[in-house]
Amino acid sequence: MDGASLLERYLERCTGQDDLSTSPQLFTPMSPYDLDLPVQPTPDASFGSQFNQPRELPPDFSCVDLSFLPDISQDDKEQNPSEDGNEMQKELDGSESRNEDSGIFTEESGLSYPDATQPSSETSGVCPPLTPMTPMTPVTPASESSGIVPQLQNIVSTVNLACKLDLKNIALHARNAEYNPKRFAAVIMRIREPRTTALIFSSGKMVCTGAKSEEQSRLAARKYARVVQKLGFPAKFLDFKIQNMVGSCDVRFPIRLEGLVLTHQQFSSYEPELFPGLIYRMVKPRIVLLIFVSGKVVLTGAKERSEIYEAFENIYPILKGFKKAS
Amino acid sequence: MAAAAARASCPACGSSALVEDAHYAQQQLVCAACGCVLAEGLLTTTYAEEEHLREVAYSQSTGQKEQLSRCLQRGIRRVQDLCKVLQLPSVFEETAVSYFQRALQHPSFHLVSLEKKELLGGCCVFVTCRQHNWPLTMGTICSLLYAKKELFASVYLSVQKELELSVPALSLMDLVKTHLNSFRLFQCAADIPAPFVEDKEKMVARTMQIVELASETWLVTGRHPIPIVTAAAFLSWQSLQPAARLTCTFARFCKVAGVDLPPPAHLRLKELHEILLRMASQLTWLRVFKMDKKVAVKHIGDLLQHRIFLLKKSFCVEDAEEQRAGAQGEGSPPAAGGAPQEEVRPSEGKRQRDGERRPLLPPCLIKPKKRLRTAAPSASDLAITGDEPISDSEIEQYLRDQEEIQAFSKAKAWL
Repeated sequence: MDGASLLERYLERCTGQDDLSTSPQLFTPMSPYDLDLPVQPTPDASFGSQFNQPRELPPDFSCVDLSFLPDISQDDKEQNPSEDGNEMQKELDGSESRNEDSGIFTEESGLSYPDATQPSSETSGVCPPLTPMTPMTPVTPASESSGIVPQLQNIVSTVNLACKLDLKNIALHARNAEYNPKRFAAVIMRIREPRTTALIFSSGKMVCTGAKSEEQSRLAARKYARVVQKLGFPAKFLDFKIQNMVGSCDVRFPIRLEGLVLTHQQFSSYEPELFPGLIYRMVKPRIVLLIFVSGKVVLTGAKERSEIYEAFENIYPILKGFKKAS
Repeated sequence: MAAAAARASCPACGSSALVEDAHYAQQQLVCAACGCVLAEGLLTTTYAEEEHLREVAYSQSTGQKEQLSRCLQRGIRRVQDLCKVLQLPSVFEETAVSYFQRALQHPSFHLVSLEKKELLGGCCVFVTCRQHNWPLTMGTICSLLYAKKELFASVYLSVQKELELSVPALSLMDLVKTHLNSFRLFQCAADIPAPFVEDKEKMVARTMQIVELASETWLVTGRHPIPIVTAAAFLSWQSLQPAARLTCTFARFCKVAGVDLPPPAHLRLKELHEILLRMASQLTWLRVFKMDKKVAVKHIGDLLQHRIFLLKKSFCVEDAEEQRAGAQGEGSPPAAGGAPQEEVRPSEGKRQRDGERRPLLPPCLIKPKKRLRTAAPSASDLAITGDEPISDSEIEQYLRDQEEIQAFSKAKAWL
């Protein structure tokens, strides 16, 4: 496919960034920018997985977050080639071969991939804009992926039993229930397998916590619904939804939290007077990470497992960068 | 004005064309010919004030104060008082008041309790100080507001989030200077024995060096800063005149200095002693002495002077994990560089000398607390689909039978 070969050439150019002098001919055909974006055909799948946004991509990418890329839209096609031609000539002539591929793209849009959306792009190495586009041919070498998988520790889910419940009755007839209306307006019920706790409210809504996987959470919620059914209420199982997932892992080296809060100030909150860990609010995906000096990381706020894995893969290069510096 | 108006002519040019005009809402009697102002009115709000010739404040006359709710006014006054007590520059006061106004208008803070609103004022002052790198601790603000620390913490975090303020980290070095200001050891006083008095500059300089050393050896990250500064101050004070002061205990030192001794400070002191001992044992001219804490403290000056060298000798720079990896010849080489092959031999040689050295790691990694480690999900756990059939017997184990219900209700009736 033409799009793929254009993309490959583009990739080669990025990896051979330092050898500008040896391969000037790669730059002369301005065609990559004339034709349909190399962006378009390939990353349909990759964008879908990277961004938690509508799965089908509109051709103009207006709702996908491509703020790190310059405006290579249909309109700019004409102006781009000439400007890029100048830029690339400058690249060839100039001695400065900038680490980031942005050199070729720098135009009036001024390259600033907003730190807020791509915190890892600064550290990921040669061609940051490419990382989300081409997961199958990563520019950064594969050995840099962490090899550590966060383990899920807690899943919180809710379900609607769709019937009014008599909590006093439930507390009387069920062994595993506790109900103290003065303290809290719900029955606290526990089951042994999977080991979970549920809060059952009189409106029929229920919160299930403590499971270690999504399937376990669903099974546990169904068991609670069965208990309520057996107690004589017409309980149903509607709108089961995972509300929060918590994972944790260990990077196995100590981390200088004071340094991290200096370089990532917009995302980090480190108050040793209040809490020994650093609270990192990642924007994409929207996850809160608690980072401790021992190297243990807790990730929370996810609605899906992939968000936790993605957040950890984003934070690992940042933390690794700190290890070498200390 | 009435008297002047009775005059029909302007004293300057003599013309009789006098006009009553308003200049910026101030009534004036002006001569139309030459522009000379014959008389002008006073700016007052009420006839009563004018009568009593009392000066009316600008904020009262323009109705600015009436626009603000009483709660907001009270809060602003509180913030201003706090700034005055802490002797903050006036810029801080303006910033803090503006933050407070923004915060109070925010929906999440509009209806909180009065107690929280007061804390909100304290938070705004705290944030302002931190943004200007003025070392103010939460403990100080809490004691000024008579607030509970947990409540202050929650209000502070929500202020930070809602107003989207970026608060830089506390500067430890400034904190040292501020905290040492409250020590009463720098002037002779009746209740302070003569050998206890110390020169402020020397003590501040040495305390800062010890705090830096603590920071390099992972004693500061994640911990409350004040106990560390207190312990460092004690050590520096002892080392400046060891003969007289080595016998003084930490508690007595704090009492004499008029400073609180926070509970974690003892642990920090112990950790600092351990670091100093390790460094001292690497110092060749101290090897003749039998090494103990007192000797280490006595020679803190020397230890600080050669700290870079001593730290390198006392602690392995690589962390424990790479040591283990090095044995298997794998893993990326650390800053020392070299191929994995070379890695094996030096790390083995190092391990022989390692009896005296330990890796430079935070204390929580050196002495890990025994914790119930949750097992990795087993195979059967992973196979759960969530839609398995649920057996009746399993559910029935959670239900009470009749006798149990009766017994339970009887027991409850008793209670």
